[in-house]
Amino acid sequence: MSGLRLSYDVVVVGGGHAGTEAAAAAARLGARTVLITPDLTRIGQMSCNPAIGGIAKGTVAREVDALGGVMGRATDAASIQFRMLNRSKGPAVWGPRSQCDRALYPIAVRRILDELDNLDLFQELVTGLNFDGRVRGVETRGGVTFEAKAVVVTAGTFLRGRIHVGGAAALGAGRAGEGPSIALAEALEAQGLRVARFKTGTPPRIDGRSVDYSRCERQEGDREPFRFSCYADEPYLEQRPCWITWSGPELQEIVTANLHRSALYGGEISGQGPRYCPSIEDKVKRFPAARRHQVFLEPEGLDTTELYVNGLSTSLPADVQVEFLRSIPGLEDAKMTKPGYAIEYDYFPPDQLLHTLEVRQIRGLYFAGQINGTTGYEEAAGQGLIAGANAALAVQGRDPFVIDRDQGYIGVLIDDLVTKGVDEPYRLFTSRAEFRLLLRQDNGPTRLGTLARSIGLLTSQQRSALEERLRQEARATVWFQKHALAPEEINGVLAEAGSAAIERPVRARELLKRPGVDARSLLNAAGTGAPSFDADVLATVEIDAKYEGYVRREVERASKLRQQAEFAIPGGTPFADFATLSIEARQKLARIRPGNLAQASRIPGVTPADLQNLVMELRRRASSAAVGPSAAGPRDTGGSSGETPDAASQPRVRAVPGAAQGGLSTEPPGR
Amino acid sequence: MDRSGTLLDTIVAQATPPGVGAVAVVRLSGPGAREIAGGLMRCDGAAMADWPERSSRLRVLHRPGSGEALDRALVTLFAAPGSYTGEDVVEISTHGGLSIPAAVVDACVALGARRARPGEFTQRAYLNGKLDLTQAEAVGDLVAANSPKGRAVALHHLERGLGERIADLRGEVIGLSALLVQHIDFPEEDEAPTPIDAIIARAEAVAAKMDRLLATAPAGELLREGAVAVLAGRPNSGKSSLFNALVGIERAIVTAEAGTTRDAIEAVVSIDGFPFRLVDTAGLRSSSNQVERLGIEIAHRYLAAADVVLYCREAGHGMSEEEDAFVQSLSCAVVRVCTKWDLAPGGWTPDPSEVTVSVVSGHGLDSLGEVLRDLVFQGVVEGRDEVPVVTRRRQADLLRQARAEIAGFGEALAGGVPAEFASAHLRTAESALEEILGVVATDDVLDRVFRDFCIGK
Repeated sequence: MSGLRLSYDVVVVGGGHAGTEAAAAAARLGARTVLITPDLTRIGQMSCNPAIGGIAKGTVAREVDALGGVMGRATDAASIQFRMLNRSKGPAVWGPRSQCDRALYPIAVRRILDELDNLDLFQELVTGLNFDGRVRGVETRGGVTFEAKAVVVTAGTFLRGRIHVGGAAALGAGRAGEGPSIALAEALEAQGLRVARFKTGTPPRIDGRSVDYSRCERQEGDREPFRFSCYADEPYLEQRPCWITWSGPELQEIVTANLHRSALYGGEISGQGPRYCPSIEDKVKRFPAARRHQVFLEPEGLDTTELYVNGLSTSLPADVQVEFLRSIPGLEDAKMTKPGYAIEYDYFPPDQLLHTLEVRQIRGLYFAGQINGTTGYEEAAGQGLIAGANAALAVQGRDPFVIDRDQGYIGVLIDDLVTKGVDEPYRLFTSRAEFRLLLRQDNGPTRLGTLARSIGLLTSQQRSALEERLRQEARATVWFQKHALAPEEINGVLAEAGSAAIERPVRARELLKRPGVDARSLLNAAGTGAPSFDADVLATVEIDAKYEGYVRREVERASKLRQQAEFAIPGGTPFADFATLSIEARQKLARIRPGNLAQASRIPGVTPADLQNLVMELRRRASSAAVGPSAAGPRDTGGSSGETPDAASQPRVRAVPGAAQGGLSTEPPGR
Repeated sequence: MDRSGTLLDTIVAQATPPGVGAVAVVRLSGPGAREIAGGLMRCDGAAMADWPERSSRLRVLHRPGSGEALDRALVTLFAAPGSYTGEDVVEISTHGGLSIPAAVVDACVALGARRARPGEFTQRAYLNGKLDLTQAEAVGDLVAANSPKGRAVALHHLERGLGERIADLRGEVIGLSALLVQHIDFPEEDEAPTPIDAIIARAEAVAAKMDRLLATAPAGELLREGAVAVLAGRPNSGKSSLFNALVGIERAIVTAEAGTTRDAIEAVVSIDGFPFRLVDTAGLRSSSNQVERLGIEIAHRYLAAADVVLYCREAGHGMSEEEDAFVQSLSCAVVRVCTKWDLAPGGWTPDPSEVTVSVVSGHGLDSLGEVLRDLVFQGVVEGRDEVPVVTRRRQADLLRQARAEIAGFGEALAGGVPAEFASAHLRTAESALEEILGVVATDDVLDRVFRDFCIGK
């Protein structure tokens, strides 16, 4: 065999937000890792809007950071505006958001990757995978062979990507200006994976010098900027505002009159697009009563005058784009620099994955990001981190790493993908999380940092920063519990909050329970001797005190769910043979193959009666297996792709003595 | 939907038909059975752990909280897996009748048990491998066969649309959640989020609809459990004969001597297809006989729970002032019955408001049945085309729970609790409604948001 051959533990295909996190996570865990992408200058590229975070998404960015990832720190380093969304709402749903400099973000990502041991970068287009009962590596266009025990594919929108601008012929492309990956898509499909198609779009960009800002509303960032990263203190850059204007009936008329020229509406695109990120064509067509739509002008960076026109995603021809842009106040003379476009691409329905993001049928192959039918940088990053970490852990023969639904939005995201599949590009919302009061932007280190530390996913610098943060949290908790404030110190603050005055000293935590009284003002009232705490730490203390009952209720619900999660469903369970289950339930279970009862309960179409009958069938099988040879099926559980699959096949399931649970044993069947 | 309760919790129900027999059995099954039974007996569950398999003990049961004694009952433990359901089962044999078994069930619920769904004990037996499916179905058929057809039809008629109504309520709760999602997940959209005051008003409207439905629960229970019809009157006024005639079997002991019926006797009868729990009481008179006095006390207790009283007097006898005063004092519906019509002295005329009956000739029994049916059930069955009836206590309990959560939601919002915390109430309310329906939740809230609002940049 000729040509260059290189050998690694983990190969990551793709250098976007999923790929960089996957590669970094695998490398932090000590796996020899290579990231392969067609253009190394575009690592960490922001291919849609130049912003990270938002509601739920910002929490995910902070989760990635707490797990030792790249995104939080890169965002801090490239941010030209920080804004905490929902600050007027309860602190449990605050959403940190940042406008980033599009040019600086990839530079920051590259710098962070370059700090890591065990990680190599390689510029090439991957065209095929090598299999031999499992993944053995990848091949590139230039004939380089990479041998690896695990491969993480993070191909974004590149798989058979086609770009549409109305009026022009569709163009094969992975992203504006870059070619698609066709061979890789075919190689994956040839392995028998189901494939489907999604679409998404981008808005046009304009030259900021052609905008009349006097007709727009200025939107500043927070006066006191925060940081996404809890481990690193990147210096702040110069901050920039965004601008808001509104489209009116004129735009509505222009779009309506040209709808037939839209690639989206002209029948050229068949894939499903996201409902929450509609094109302007969709908005006009589906909500004709909405006469005006918000348009956000977002700066592309410090060294460019370009603006990203958020809110006007479109696949109309360029001439129509210019026409409707100029109908908007402030944009009468706008010069378009890049037309908006729609893109459609292949994804692999994610119900073909395990919770580790390993492809169920192909050991050693992992998928993360848009290839799984999601959208968003943050969703991609969260998946990339989990896929990369599990690839490394599997190679090392260690237990898989899965985040549960009550531990992180990343857990919600992956569990939704794997147990429900997707019917539109998937994005996170706080309402997707049934435990959102626990999953907050302030408590990532406690929730996930400690988990990451326990498996060695943090660098030594991150570990010490985490420990400092945990110590501070403990100090703050004690201070608020112990420190009493005197009437003369605090009555002024209470009066301002419309709260009754106190007559003798009252402990800070008690005062914190009162509506309108916040942790910061209590600390300030305590005078110069009071310690200082980070904003996140104060938020945690405040929420724990103020909404104690709500948080407790949610913790109780979560522990009930964990009981169900302890009821393991063994791999190879022949769901199709379970005659007491509805046909729909049998089909869904056979396809998705949940690893435990809690996962099964979330599959649409599986009813409570089905669940009970499932328990019965599993118990029956367990008792007949006890006399015969083991009924355990082939590897197919929640499992690992390590070299000792049987030992690691159900590591996350905690065995519970059946007797203690009464007649309904939660003993894993098959024992 | 929170389905964690479907597998690991402890269920309770009265195992014997309501109102029939001197003894009633309340059955608990599940991992918490010992602990809950222990709570009734005011000892901890560990104490019960020492009980030998299938042993019984006589114990006083107490109401949790107040500590009031409920009954003295025989408590039997059937430990897992050797029980009917395969789980730990505790059977409590209480005195029969209406109030005591119900109070014991309520006490078990207060101690953490959940009211069993219909057939749930059998279902658990099936799940635990104690019965196969065909056996389980046969049990179900047997249970269903005891329902009088008329009642089944009436129930069906009244329940029709209940599922839809609950589904509508769930839809409204989801609608409320969607309004909050607008606040929480989409604060920067074209349309400003719905003001909090408007959301509170909408929650109140939802609560009012729930109240309307809940108001039907007593009527529904009447149909499901039967209307309590108490036979009252002076000793030897023909109550027991009438009771027997209505029941159709020699159930009460009928003698010519006054004061034979020393205790209340109950039977569930179907009159024109509608269920009545017929109660024969000891004659209402002061008595020096201790046992009979007890019976009289019981009679008063039944009278308090009665839906209708059949006040009997013998043909040819007048009503004393005392009796008139008694009838006047009753708060429930009263049917005055003139018994022994075949023995009426010639020329004697009954009061025009009385129904005359003779158990010897069968005279008047049909018209008495019609009077009873119309009096108790006409209002229940008619005029209900709009609002379906909640006929099961399980449904009523869950609906009440949902109602309480909606109230908690409104209070929380009005009290300045942030939307994401307040919405926790909606999630619980939704779960309760879903449990009535047995549906599986998907991304309904988001679907609603995307359908109703133009969202997204």
